[in-house]
Amino acid sequence: MSGQLSTDQYREQIWAELAKVARPDSRFHWDFSSFICDFVGSEKCSDRVLELDALTHRGDRQVFITPDNCLEDLRYKLIQRGIPFVMTTYGIVRGFYRLDPATIPESDHRYAATLDGFDRYAVAMPLAELQKGNKFSLLVTGGSAVSNNGVRFGKGHGYFDFEWAVLSELGLTDSSSVVADVVHDCQFVNEVMPAEKHDVVVDWVVTPTQAIHIDQNSRQRGRVFWELVPGTEFEQLGIVAELRAIQNLGPM
Amino acid sequence: MAKRETSTRQIETDVASDAPLYEQVRDRLTQVILARELSDSTPLPTEPNLMELFGVSRGTLRRAIEELVRDGLLSAEQGRGTFVVQEERVRRVVWQLLSEVARPDSRFDLDLSQYVPDFAGSNLAQKRVMKRDEWRKAEVIFCAPDNSIEQLRLSALNAGKKILVPTYGLQRGFIFLDGAKIPKTDHALAATLDGMERFGKRLGPADLRQAGTIDLVVTGATAVTTDGRHIGGGQRYLALEWMMMKQLGVLSPNALVFAVVHDCQVVDEMVEAEPDCLLDLICTNSQEIDVWEPQVVAPSKLRRIK
Repeated sequence: MSGQLSTDQYREQIWAELAKVARPDSRFHWDFSSFICDFVGSEKCSDRVLELDALTHRGDRQVFITPDNCLEDLRYKLIQRGIPFVMTTYGIVRGFYRLDPATIPESDHRYAATLDGFDRYAVAMPLAELQKGNKFSLLVTGGSAVSNNGVRFGKGHGYFDFEWAVLSELGLTDSSSVVADVVHDCQFVNEVMPAEKHDVVVDWVVTPTQAIHIDQNSRQRGRVFWELVPGTEFEQLGIVAELRAIQNLGPM
Repeated sequence: MAKRETSTRQIETDVASDAPLYEQVRDRLTQVILARELSDSTPLPTEPNLMELFGVSRGTLRRAIEELVRDGLLSAEQGRGTFVVQEERVRRVVWQLLSEVARPDSRFDLDLSQYVPDFAGSNLAQKRVMKRDEWRKAEVIFCAPDNSIEQLRLSALNAGKKILVPTYGLQRGFIFLDGAKIPKTDHALAATLDGMERFGKRLGPADLRQAGTIDLVVTGATAVTTDGRHIGGGQRYLALEWMMMKQLGVLSPNALVFAVVHDCQVVDEMVEAEPDCLLDLICTNSQEIDVWEPQVVAPSKLRRIK
């Protein structure tokens, strides 16, 4: 297709734009390949996410959030509203944790919303424990870039795909689970992109200026493609061993 | 598991292992070095001796040694031979012990080569610092960005002190925080690396004088020696920060240096490390070590603090 940029070209263009509005990480500074950055206006994104039906009408269903910096303000606002959520640690190294705002004194709400503070109050959720809980109504992730048909691309999106796959294998997602991707406007690419079989296409792209709904009636049930795991950063994760034990698959 | 037949003098390599032979030799040699079976002050045995010891060819041995030189555990010195790098040996031994009590970092998890961890019992070590007169009297404190002293940064802010904290890896300068000006409810957040930049003022090296005069330096460490040497993660940030502060005249001539570490990080041997920034006091989970340095240069170190 002439005039269309490759994903690499998009990535370069997006990173150059993103650098103008990005906020550095406390450890990785400006090294965007190591983390999903926060950006100017992410507060407006959280306000939009808070209005999504999947959150306001979640009933007794759960909320999942990735440990991305652009979601810190959303975590803070969930804590303030007393809404518990499940999150993974950076790189999923220590698996899933659950944060219950009822355990956090008001003075520490902002603290608990950061990665440094989260550990103080969150409780580890081994997969066997997580599986006993309710399904997820809303899953929120950040991303490096996303297309207008909801395909995420660029460094870092593989973690959420894997989290979605694991939660789905545990029976914790279904057709009414909603996935929202929080990005800056410059990370939204108004173009259709092809999805790989392990890509989680998203239902909502939420930016500081708009919330874009994408029809995802064709989304397949998530699953872990075990043949793709060897040689990736996921291979050694504790949750991989846990999930394989639950599924009687034996060690990787 | 099938093992190669060896004489008692030989060091076994595991033939059942999938790892290439040179990696097995590298790992076994590392174990020998960490167990201090080789001296730091004399060169490694000759190649023929080591070849016999490990039962491997010259090529395999050389490759293993090259890897260890690249990792910093060995140094090859022209005309003198190959030596164990003492500082790196100490670091590796301590990391093994420390991993038992370390608390994971929010980004680096338990990769101790990337950060100085908080540890089980750090509250006891930090309380020892808080009880000192020097701490109570200090108005401006340099606090390293180490996880093991987060409670001290919080305590300083609570007490209305000013603290100067380098950003991680000193990549974006220093952050200067004034406890009296930050709302109390934000102190916990301001004491973390994630939060400090929201409440403090960023100072580049050229602006350091705005911090006033630093009365006290508090740091964590990868290891410390009983004679007051500070061993960092390998990048020597503390020495660099110390030199900057000294050259800019922001360090009080009487400024003392306190280290907070776990017992397992205290090493009782002489190490040639950080000769500039000597420690005056080491606080651990179980004890307080006043450091007496007999052959000192800095006048502040001549005073044995009580």
